[in-house]
Amino acid sequence: MKWSIDAGRSRAWHGAFAALALLSAATAACAVLDDAISLMSQAMIYLLAVVAASYLLPWLAAVGSAIGAVAALNFFFVPPRYTLAVEHREHLIALAAMLAVALLVSYLSAALKRESAAARESEARAGQLRSLAIDLAAAASEDEAVDIGRRALRHRFAGPVLVVTSVDGAIAPGVDAGEDVMRALRCCIVEASVLGPGTGRWPALDAWYVPLGTGGRVVGAARVEPASASDAIGREHAQAIAALVAQGVWRLRLLEANLAARAEVERQHVQATFLASVSHDLRTPLAAIVAAASSLEAQRGRLGEADQDRMLAGIVAEARYLTEVTENTLQLVRLSAGGGALRSEWQAIDEIVGSIVGRLRSRPCGARIRARLGAALPLVRGDATLLAQLATNLVDNALKYSDGAVDLTVVQRRDRLLLSVKDRGPGLAPGDESRVFEPFYRGRGAADARGAGLGLALCRAIAVAHGGSLGVSRRARGGCRFTLALPVAEQPAVEAPA
Amino acid sequence: MSIKVLIVEDDREIRAVLRTALAAEGFDVLTAVSLSEATALLEHDPPDLIVLDLGLPDGDGAQLVRAVRSRSAMPILVASARHQEAERISLLDQGADDYLTKPFGVNELLARIRVALRHRGTTLQPATTRYARGDLLIDVETYRVEREGRPLHLTPTEFKLAARLVRAAGRVVTHRQLLADVWGAEHVLDTHYLRLYMGQLRTKLEAVPSEPSHLLTETGVGYRLVVD
Repeated sequence: MKWSIDAGRSRAWHGAFAALALLSAATAACAVLDDAISLMSQAMIYLLAVVAASYLLPWLAAVGSAIGAVAALNFFFVPPRYTLAVEHREHLIALAAMLAVALLVSYLSAALKRESAAARESEARAGQLRSLAIDLAAAASEDEAVDIGRRALRHRFAGPVLVVTSVDGAIAPGVDAGEDVMRALRCCIVEASVLGPGTGRWPALDAWYVPLGTGGRVVGAARVEPASASDAIGREHAQAIAALVAQGVWRLRLLEANLAARAEVERQHVQATFLASVSHDLRTPLAAIVAAASSLEAQRGRLGEADQDRMLAGIVAEARYLTEVTENTLQLVRLSAGGGALRSEWQAIDEIVGSIVGRLRSRPCGARIRARLGAALPLVRGDATLLAQLATNLVDNALKYSDGAVDLTVVQRRDRLLLSVKDRGPGLAPGDESRVFEPFYRGRGAADARGAGLGLALCRAIAVAHGGSLGVSRRARGGCRFTLALPVAEQPAVEAPA
Repeated sequence: MSIKVLIVEDDREIRAVLRTALAAEGFDVLTAVSLSEATALLEHDPPDLIVLDLGLPDGDGAQLVRAVRSRSAMPILVASARHQEAERISLLDQGADDYLTKPFGVNELLARIRVALRHRGTTLQPATTRYARGDLLIDVETYRVEREGRPLHLTPTEFKLAARLVRAAGRVVTHRQLLADVWGAEHVLDTHYLRLYMGQLRTKLEAVPSEPSHLLTETGVGYRLVVD
C-alpha cells in the first residue's frame, strides 16, 4: 500500500512539473514575440499550452495549468504588467472567457481519456474471455478445464483464487480450505447464486463466491479476492469467466456420459453377436448328433451294419467337435475377462508342437501335417495348455480350409520365436488379414466348413496374453501363412544335478 | 473273483453309461454320487480301483485321495474337465494315479484302468523296472538302454529321469513328482530343468524327437511313457 501511495504522489509531482514547464514555455514564447504580436495572440499561445496540458496530463494538473495560464497571461502581459490587476474591463472578460474555455477543454479531454481507458479495459476483458473460451473448448479433461479457469481468474484477481467442482451439489474431494470457505462454497453451489460484497447475499464476506453454471446445472464454484462492493465490473467479469468454465466442464461431462453410453451399447452388441455365434456353433453339431442318435434308436433293425457304424462314428466326431467349440469359447471368455488364468512357466515349444502334432496325426487328415523345427530353440515363458490350444487351432484351421500339405515351422529370429502355419487353401480375400481375427468372422470358403468363428479370435487373445502377436499374410502362390511371434526372454540357468 | 471298481460321479447319465460299459468288461461296479457316500462305501466294501470325478457337490476330492493313500495303494483315476487343470494336478501330486479329461471315450477309460491295475500292488511285487516297446528298451536294473538293438549312453540325470518314468510306465508323472524325485524337493518349481532334459532324452530315445512316440508330453500336467 505504501508503494502505491508513493507512486500516486510521484505521478502528481510529474504532472505539476510538466504543467509548469508548459506554462514557462508559453510565457517564454509570448515574451520573445511580445513586440511582434498582440495580446490576443499571446492569449492563444497560452490556450494552446492549456489544451496540450489537458490532453497530456492528469485532470488536476490540467485544471492547475488552466488557472496558471490565465494568471500568467494576466501577470506578464495584461496591462498593467507584473501585477494581477486588470486595467480594462475588456481584458477581464477575455481572461474570464479564457479560464472558462481552458477548464472546459480540460474537463472534456479528461472525460475522453476516461472513456477510452474504459473501452480499452473492456476490450481486454472481452479478449480474455475469447481466449478462455478457445482454451476451454480444447480442454480434454475436467481437471484441465478447471485449471484453465483458475488461471483466467488469477489473471484478473490478485488474491488467492479457489475453483472447485461438484457433482450433484457435493464438492469433489481433495479441496484444501477452511470450514467457513467450504460452507460458503456449498451454499453458493446449492443456491446457484453469487455471494459476497455488493451482491446482497452474505455481503460481509471478504471474497466473492461465484457458482459455475446456473439453475440445475451448477458444476462447481469459484472463490475470488479481492472483492469490493463498488467493483461491479470485476464481479461481472468473474461471473463471465465462471459461466465459460461451467460450460466447458458441462461439455466434458456430457461427452464422457455419451462415450460411456456408446461403449455400453457396443458391449451389448458384441455380447449378442457372441451368443448368436456360439449358439450357432453349438447347435449345428447337436443337430447332427440328435439326428444320428434318434435314427439309431428308431431304425436300428432296418439299418445295415455299415450305416450304423457311420452314424456312431459321426456321433463321436460331432461330440468331440462340440467339446472343442466349448473349450475355445470358455477360454476366450476367460482371457477377455482379464486373463487371470495364465499359468506362466518355462515351456519348450518343440515339446508343445510335438504333442499337438502327435494328437492331430491320429485324425483322418493328420498325415498332411509337415512339421519342421529349428535346432536349439530357446525356452519361452507361457501357459502350455493355451499355447497348445493356439497351435491346434491354427493347424486345424489350415487342415479344414485346404486339401494339400500344411506346414508347421518354428524358428528363432533374434529375440523372437516364430511359429508359422502355412497352407495352400483358397487364401484370404484382400482386406481380410485383420478381420479373420474378429470373433465372429468367417472367411472365404468358410461357408461349408464350420466353427472357425471363435478359433482365430482365441488364438490372437492367447498370443496377446503371452506378450506376443499373431498375424496372417497371403502367400504368393495361393494359401495363407499364420505367424505367431513370442518374445524370447533371458534363458533360465540350470544347476548341475547332484 | 472279479475286480471291483468304484465310480464317484454326480451326473446320473454318465454314471449309468460308465456302469454299463465297465460291467460289460466284466468289472464289478459300485457307484457313489458324493464324497460322503464314497467314503462310507470305502469303509464297508473297499473296491480295487476308484474313478473319481472332480467337482462333486460336497467338496473337492483331495480329502478322499489322502484318506485312501493313508492306508492303501488302491489306484485312483481322476476324471475332470479341462479347466480343472490345477485341481487335477494337485490330486495327482497327492497320490492319485492318473487322470482323464472329460469328455473321454470308454476306450481311454479302459486303457487307463488296465495300466492302473497293472501297477496295483507294486508294494508287494517288484516295481516295474523294464520297459520294452517297439524299438526301445530300458532296463533300470542293469542300466541298459537300447534303441533298435544298439546301446545308448545316457547321462546320470537322463537315466534317473528315464528310470522314474519307467517305474510308472503308462501312467502320467507330474512335473512336481519328476522334479522332486530326480533333482530333489527344492527344485519342484524349476520346470525348465524338465524341458531341457526331456528334450535331450527325446533326441536319444526317439526316432523322430519332434514327434515322440514313447515319451509323451501331457500338456500342462507332466509326462507319460506309453505302453501298449
